[in-house]
Amino acid sequence: MTITETLKGSITVVAINGALDASTAPELQRSPAITNASQTVVIDFEHVDFLDSSGLGALIGTLRKKRDMSAETLLSCMNDRISQVFEITNAYRLFHIFDDTSAAVDYATQLISRK
Amino acid sequence: MNSIITLTLPSDVIFTRFASQTAERAALLMLNSCDADTGNWQFVHAFELAVSEAFANAVTNAEQPGTLQTVIINFIFEQQRLTVTVRDTNQQFSTETPTPDIDSYPEKGYGLLLIRTVMDNVSCIRENGANILSMSKQL
Repeated sequence: MTITETLKGSITVVAINGALDASTAPELQRSPAITNASQTVVIDFEHVDFLDSSGLGALIGTLRKKRDMSAETLLSCMNDRISQVFEITNAYRLFHIFDDTSAAVDYATQLISRK
Repeated sequence: MNSIITLTLPSDVIFTRFASQTAERAALLMLNSCDADTGNWQFVHAFELAVSEAFANAVTNAEQPGTLQTVIINFIFEQQRLTVTVRDTNQQFSTETPTPDIDSYPEKGYGLLLIRTVMDNVSCIRENGANILSMSKQL
């Protein structure tokens, strides 16, 4: 798995490439924009081919830590296989999820400007 | 097609993706051998996901981290049915764990929920000091 962070205004897009599972989730949790709890992020799933509950747990942990600091975690570009994990666990209720990363960045920017 | 493929992996989390990708290939092999629709991503993903969860569970519950333990995965191909068994020598566990309450933001506890949802049949037995988790799905 590789992680690329790109700053879009005040939002960081965290693009993951590969699988997010028990062996790679700690790597996501160590990435700078994720460890910085006050940084709002859009996590781009366009190139994520697999997600399991360990990966989901890392995302939920990220969401909780950032919300504690009034920041947000938004998700974009999830394929059917990734979406299925969110549907089974009801985790889609916790996140703002977008089909398009640009739309997610725009929404995140609006959220920040309201705070 | 009636056959069994056995995969023995070290009890180490770094092999999680190897296990899940092998399960993905086994499901594709099943589809091919049955002349079924190889675009049936739900069938393929079910095994990829279930084995990832089962392997990670076996590894993270290991009683003696650092010792040379193994996880044994069997892929059992029968007519129109694929069964996977995952064997580990950890403490006994139950497949009847409660479903996590998503509104309290739990980071763990979803694995068995996912397995039970994507598979047709799930059972766990204790045999000769080992857990054997069995998961099957019909085409």
